[in-house]
Amino acid sequence: MKKIGLREFLFLAPVIVLISIFSLVPVIQSFTYTFFDYRLNDQQNAGLYLNERFNYELFDETQLYLTMFLEEDKQQVTDPVLLGKIDTVIAKVEDKAKAFAGKEGVQKITKEEKTELIVLSKETQEVVQQLAEQYDTANEENLPLIAKDIENSIIPANFIGLKGYKQALGDARLGAALVNTTIFTFVSVAFELVLGLALAMIMNKAMRGKGLIRTTSLIPWAIPTAVAALMWSYLYDGSSGIVAHLFQMVGLVDNSRELLLSAGGAMVSTILADVWKTTPYMALLLLAGLQNISKDTYEAADIDGASSIQKFFTITIPLLKPSILVALLFRTLDAFRVFDLIYVLTGGGPGGATETLSIYGYKAMFAQTNFGYGSVIVMIMFVCVAVIATIYVKFLGANLMDKN
Amino acid sequence: MKKWWSIFVTVALVAGIIAGCSGNSGTTTKEGDNGAAVDKEKTAETVTLKFAAQNDNTPATKQLIDEFNKSQDQYKVEWVEMTNDSAQMHDQLLTSLSSGSDEYDILSLDVVWAGEFAGAGYLEPIDARMKEEGISKDDFNSGSMASGNYQGKQFTLPFFPDLGLLYYRKDIVSQEDAAKLDSGKYTYADLGAMAEKYTGQGGTKFGFLYQSKQYEGLTVNVNEFSKSFEDVKGGLEQMYAFTNAAWAPQDLLNFTEGETHTTFEQGNAVFARNWPYQFGRIKGQEDGVKVTVDQVGIAPLPNGGSVGGWLLSINKSSKNVDGAWEFVKFVSGKEGQKTMSTVGGYLPGFNELLEDQEVISSNDMLSYEGFKNALSNTIARPVSPEYSKVSDTIQINAHKYLSTGEGLEEAVKAIEEATKK
Amino acid sequence: MDTTSKKMKWIVGFLIAIYLFAMFFPFLWILITSFKTSGEIYGDGAFRFIPDNPTLQNFITVIVDKGILGAIKTSLIVSFTTTIYIVLVATFAAYAISRFDFKGKNVLLGIILAVSMFPQMIVVGPVYNLFQDLGWTNSYAIILPYSTITLPMAVWILVTHFNQIPLALEESAKMDGATPVQTLFKIVFPLAAPGVFTTAIIVFIAAWNEFLLTITINSNKSYHTVPVAISFLRTQFEILWGEVAAATTIVTIPTLLIVLFFQKQIVSGLTSGGVKE
Repeated sequence: MKKIGLREFLFLAPVIVLISIFSLVPVIQSFTYTFFDYRLNDQQNAGLYLNERFNYELFDETQLYLTMFLEEDKQQVTDPVLLGKIDTVIAKVEDKAKAFAGKEGVQKITKEEKTELIVLSKETQEVVQQLAEQYDTANEENLPLIAKDIENSIIPANFIGLKGYKQALGDARLGAALVNTTIFTFVSVAFELVLGLALAMIMNKAMRGKGLIRTTSLIPWAIPTAVAALMWSYLYDGSSGIVAHLFQMVGLVDNSRELLLSAGGAMVSTILADVWKTTPYMALLLLAGLQNISKDTYEAADIDGASSIQKFFTITIPLLKPSILVALLFRTLDAFRVFDLIYVLTGGGPGGATETLSIYGYKAMFAQTNFGYGSVIVMIMFVCVAVIATIYVKFLGANLMDKN
Repeated sequence: MKKWWSIFVTVALVAGIIAGCSGNSGTTTKEGDNGAAVDKEKTAETVTLKFAAQNDNTPATKQLIDEFNKSQDQYKVEWVEMTNDSAQMHDQLLTSLSSGSDEYDILSLDVVWAGEFAGAGYLEPIDARMKEEGISKDDFNSGSMASGNYQGKQFTLPFFPDLGLLYYRKDIVSQEDAAKLDSGKYTYADLGAMAEKYTGQGGTKFGFLYQSKQYEGLTVNVNEFSKSFEDVKGGLEQMYAFTNAAWAPQDLLNFTEGETHTTFEQGNAVFARNWPYQFGRIKGQEDGVKVTVDQVGIAPLPNGGSVGGWLLSINKSSKNVDGAWEFVKFVSGKEGQKTMSTVGGYLPGFNELLEDQEVISSNDMLSYEGFKNALSNTIARPVSPEYSKVSDTIQINAHKYLSTGEGLEEAVKAIEEATKK
Repeated sequence: MDTTSKKMKWIVGFLIAIYLFAMFFPFLWILITSFKTSGEIYGDGAFRFIPDNPTLQNFITVIVDKGILGAIKTSLIVSFTTTIYIVLVATFAAYAISRFDFKGKNVLLGIILAVSMFPQMIVVGPVYNLFQDLGWTNSYAIILPYSTITLPMAVWILVTHFNQIPLALEESAKMDGATPVQTLFKIVFPLAAPGVFTTAIIVFIAAWNEFLLTITINSNKSYHTVPVAISFLRTQFEILWGEVAAATTIVTIPTLLIVLFFQKQIVSGLTSGGVKE
């Protein structure tokens, strides 16, 4: 082994650049998120804050609202003491806003400033409360909420270290998702491997109707996953779905609605759709491997009088091992990350029975905007896949890197 | 061979440039979060504004934008058609807004997103502008306005409101029962009894249809059955009884609005819970519709209908907040809402128009007694920055119970906890 | 002996036929559905094999009003460019990994594999930010982030195939003074044709299938690819099954032709396989 030279580097540079920008950077970013309580729907958590900050923008907005609402409600106030208090608060908050002029967005803040702001916030809240108690004003409901925003402008640090992971360990929903993902992955990949191998061997043989076999068997793969999933959701539909109808007719299910509405039925349905969709892909990968096995090897075995079954186990399987490994590896990685299909078909239902890790992660991140915890789920997913991949490579990969 | 080298070098070069650029941006993101100010070429006169709104299968949105563009020459609004898959649109907007992008200036939001996006600080509050223009909150549909009010600030004006309605077959239901339904003074149990009584008449196969697939629609229906989560247990038990009633379609638990309207339109059901759009389909006698308008009545739901529909708001990162406000004001105002209502058949969000003859004559529903009652009896879903999470909890727990009949107590507990705040 | 093998042949043939029917049936049903009116898609007509009132309306709508042909064009451009550049880039890398000795080779392979273990959703945000800053949204630059879903797989498949090619020929080429690039494209590349074409077809389909990145980054309708365009065939409350079925039928034809073309190349590697030994 020698150090990487210029020549090697030039060969590898494009891959390194592309992988770094479009894969590594996002991965590192996600990894960083896992250590923060990073939630977009809450302005106090909508960033990665190692130390305390102040949201100048929100404060400005709050000042405007406070002045506007207080000025409005002041009209009704007759008590001169309260009037004076209101004016003081308005003036104080305005002064602060003036002092902050020129500062934008979220920035650091000193301890003194913070204490001052908390005092100001308390004072404002008291005045607002007093106003609400004594008078029945137009902004009675809004003002207390606005007053609170002064405090909400102070952003505490949201670095939580490993707490996200700790939360994940106790998350029953995550456990269920892991189980669902594992079942889905292993069952569907096992079926795909067996069927795919059979299909590849058929494609590799010169036989009648080859063209027809090839064309037909590749159709499922040619339909985009998102579209195929949509299609299956129509076929599985409890009242108008032909597949559900046929299954009921032949007695596979008691009732056509069970396909998508019982926990077991929904899992079987998604696996079936996945096997349908990806078996051709498996077959293609294995077909390429079969092509690399030279005919002579088989001919030599024929002379020795080996049966087809013997040939399959002594020649085909061992020589196909690298291709099987790659096919298995990438299919497993794909199946473990299954998203489109389940998202469209069941949305994770019924009652979470088909929710996989990527569905849960996606919901946490995009639907619930909790990027911190969503990233934790993604990392856990990564660890699981990495373990599976390592096992594959350990058991099957001995000759993966062997050279002919 | 030289050719290969040149390709290789080009690829490497392009990749290198990208690497350089990303290095810059990687450090500026997140913390400040407003992104670098991109110098966009500013044409001297008209400013182009991007309006993110769902694909509209009526010509209303298009016409509305044209009218606005013609009404003045300072701004030109361009419509970025978003997918009708609301969950997908939400995720897309989230990606865009969270990056501080000004890709969209004006946003149309589902009523349940407003709290979340406002809480995240992506929307421009509009109280000051409303005050300046003398626009009162009372001019607009109250349900829509409440949905767009977060922490005391108003962030949205209505694009078009929606509300849950009960559709019934006038030709099957007795006059006495119809009057009872129209008044809204009945319970879900009464509705169940009626469904039992009428199913089978007039060629119907099913009694009452509603949405209980595991999706946002289930939250809407649980909201209605439980009277805005006042009685979660009773609501869920009622739904479970309905799911397994003899008159229910066997895959009711997989019903969305689509299944509901097709089944009802084909004359297969006596009652159905759906949004106002179903009336438009029946009136327009769209493909596959077998019932006529005369056969259909509209009534309030027993506990009131959920507020739905869409809101207009302004992206805080927009460089043309003033222009965006002009457009929002125009669309939600009398003129814009009239177009939405007369051209698209949408419910007007501007209250005055509910009495407008032109609007009523192009929108028959507005003259129905039952519809008027429904309009005055609406219930909102919780406004919360955590709405998605709350809704997710409701969906999963309710669907689990409804599909198995087990775990009522846990489901009730989980839902009550989630909706408590 | 003869009769049993004949019997076997029949059984195998029968099994293949069943399998093919199972594979074909869902598509067949979509084809049938595409000729149905929406009234027949639900309810009583849903299970009819031959529609009562067959209609071409769905096809007309998706082609004329919904511009599915434009989406096919975009998809073809995007998928072909992605295929070409990814296969090229991956070939260089795979050749270097397979043939050169250098430190950190396994680490590199490991990293390439590891990045493909992350779900695609984490890529969307960062790429959106980057493309916004560069002004690359709504453009064909979308093919660059496609590398994240295609490149790892391409490199790995090519490495395994390159490894199986005997070194002897290259050695002699080297003696004749060929540069590594020449050796790669004159000798290794043709020999690894089945692997190269397998990679190409897999990359092509992966690019063709991509949904999340495209819909987020290319929101402009003129850059919508097939999956995105089909996802638009719905209203707020229902999916327009007739149109979806028609669009699916239309887009399956070009893809199938392309897949078959590639696949033929994979198998025809067999005939040129004589060179291998």
